[in-house]
Amino acid sequence: MNGLPLLPTIIIDMAGSMADIIFSFLAMRYALLLTRRQPDNFLWGYLFYFCMALSAFSVSRAAGHLVKQFLFMSDNGDIWADIAPYSGGFNTLLLISVSAVTIFYNKSVQAYESIEQKAAKLKSANLQLEKAAAELKELNMHLEEKVEERTAELSKSEKKFRHLFSNSKDMIFFGDIGKNVLEINESGLEMLGYSPEDAKSLNLYQIFRNEEDIFTYYELLSRDGYIKDFEAEFQKKDGSVIYVLISATAIYDDNGKMIGCEAIAKDLTRVKTMMEQLVSSEKMASVGQMAAGVAHEINTPLGIILGYAQLMKDDFDEDSEAYQNLCVIERQTKASRKIVADLLKFSRQAGSARKDIDLNEILSDVVAVTEHNLNLNHIQVHLDLADHLPRVIGDAEKLRQVFVNLINNAQHAMEEQGGGDLYLGTSYDPGKKQVITRVRDTGHGIPEEVKAKIFDPFFTTKPVGKGTGLGLSVTYGIIQDHGGTIVVESPVRNPDSGEMMQGTEFRILLPRAEDTETVALKEEGGRPETM
Amino acid sequence: MARQPTMTGRLPIILVPLLLGVLLGCPDHAWALQSHGPPEGLYVHQMAHIHFVLALGYLLWDIRRSSFTSMGWRYLQVFCLLMIVWNVLAFTGHAMGVVLEPHHISTVQGYFQSRLLGPLTTTKIIFYITKLDHLVAVPALFFLFIGMRSLYRTVIEHAGEEKK
Repeated sequence: MNGLPLLPTIIIDMAGSMADIIFSFLAMRYALLLTRRQPDNFLWGYLFYFCMALSAFSVSRAAGHLVKQFLFMSDNGDIWADIAPYSGGFNTLLLISVSAVTIFYNKSVQAYESIEQKAAKLKSANLQLEKAAAELKELNMHLEEKVEERTAELSKSEKKFRHLFSNSKDMIFFGDIGKNVLEINESGLEMLGYSPEDAKSLNLYQIFRNEEDIFTYYELLSRDGYIKDFEAEFQKKDGSVIYVLISATAIYDDNGKMIGCEAIAKDLTRVKTMMEQLVSSEKMASVGQMAAGVAHEINTPLGIILGYAQLMKDDFDEDSEAYQNLCVIERQTKASRKIVADLLKFSRQAGSARKDIDLNEILSDVVAVTEHNLNLNHIQVHLDLADHLPRVIGDAEKLRQVFVNLINNAQHAMEEQGGGDLYLGTSYDPGKKQVITRVRDTGHGIPEEVKAKIFDPFFTTKPVGKGTGLGLSVTYGIIQDHGGTIVVESPVRNPDSGEMMQGTEFRILLPRAEDTETVALKEEGGRPETM
Repeated sequence: MARQPTMTGRLPIILVPLLLGVLLGCPDHAWALQSHGPPEGLYVHQMAHIHFVLALGYLLWDIRRSSFTSMGWRYLQVFCLLMIVWNVLAFTGHAMGVVLEPHHISTVQGYFQSRLLGPLTTTKIIFYITKLDHLVAVPALFFLFIGMRSLYRTVIEHAGEEKK
């Protein structure tokens, strides 16, 4: 019989139907597991619904096919004729459902991708957060170490600047806009004579001698932001004045408004004094040259006038008026010759006899001569001579004249107040190898404005007729001729207490005998110093 | 503030009653309840197959476009292809079932001895082949199963890697 057996199709249909159900349900199971594993994943949700629809379709179709096969096998094909439309309709319905679910894939993917993108962003943000958290943790762990390290660095830096501030030999101070001194270093306080307690209430009005200088100082700071080499006078606590050179910088706040200043002030008093002394020395040298020239020129005619006056005296009676007039001429000519001789001494033109001398001896001689006169003027002499004083090389007569001049000046200084104390003393400075002689009075002292002129020839503060103004000039000339130095201090600082005492002290510093030869080689000996 | 009705908004209010009036006023058989003849169920079923083919084709194209590269998605693509083939077979089988007459199949010797009677024409051979559609449907569903399992395993592995 031709044809094909349908048994294979029946077997395959039945086995295939069962396999369809199994595989579709297995697929659905994994889809379900996926949704449970990642409930938020939109794509797994889609696949689950797709598998579910497909399983429903598979069950419907397979069930229909199996029922059909069993009905036909049991020879009940007519029953299938009644069921077939329902089975077919149901299959169609589920087929359409599966198709409908299938086309929603695209939307699912879009939703999934959108969520994934957001998740990726979140993940990235989380990673960054984790990284930041890790860094923060690391920072926290090492924070203490870093703080210690930075503190040590800061401390080191602070120490360095504090050291500079404290140990600077110049004055360093910080001021506010109200002209108050906020902080000042020890050198500054020492320079001004204030104690650390005084520093708390110190202001620039106390420091600056001239108020105009404060306004100029602040005006320049606010205009330029800095000041370089501003010369000013500072007043110390005891009233004495020092000359300073200021360099300062303005301090600004965050808004650029000036709130104060930081300044360094260098004490130029000594330099200024030295400059004045140098000028004075040059002046004295030129005056000395001039005086020597004048003295030489005048000395000759004076000698002739004196000679002729003495010769003419022989031609007249002692009682005659002419004789008396010639005596006046002779006396005045001699006085003039003394002045000329003093001028020559000042200019070191006069000859001198040098020998090895003891200053203690010379000073004692002078005191012996002048003490009586001093006592009459209620001046108490205090003689303090050093033992084993080194000897000096010099002209004893000239040095006596030096001490007489100084004692005379001291006497004059104390006359107005009706007496006082005169301290005379000698000492030796082994460091400088100098023999020092001190003459100190407790008189009115030397005014600041005349200090620089006291060694000038013919300069005097005494009334007319009481002095020629050559005493100190001659003294200066003699000391310089001996390779020494003369120092004036008025008022006098007490070396023990540091307090200022009324009066004037002259210090004669002469090289000891062993060093005189060396000193004599120097072109210029010493210069007068005023303090 | 109450919104004022515009001309466009008023149009349905005017048109709907007008249309109903025309339909009710002019009755005709074309507008009445339509009866469904016996072939309609088959047509709907065949259209459902076409719909499913198109949906599967779209799914296949979309999976490929989505650039999902894991094995699970590749298995799903195979599933789509096989299901499309199955739909074509089923569609063809249904069509052949209509063409084939009942006397072309003999069940005289019992259901298990049923035969497609000769002479064997192309129609009969195609009918016979389409009766074996499970040879395509079962592998298709198998690929769906291994596809889903592969996706699940990938997720598990990925979760394990993240934990590490």
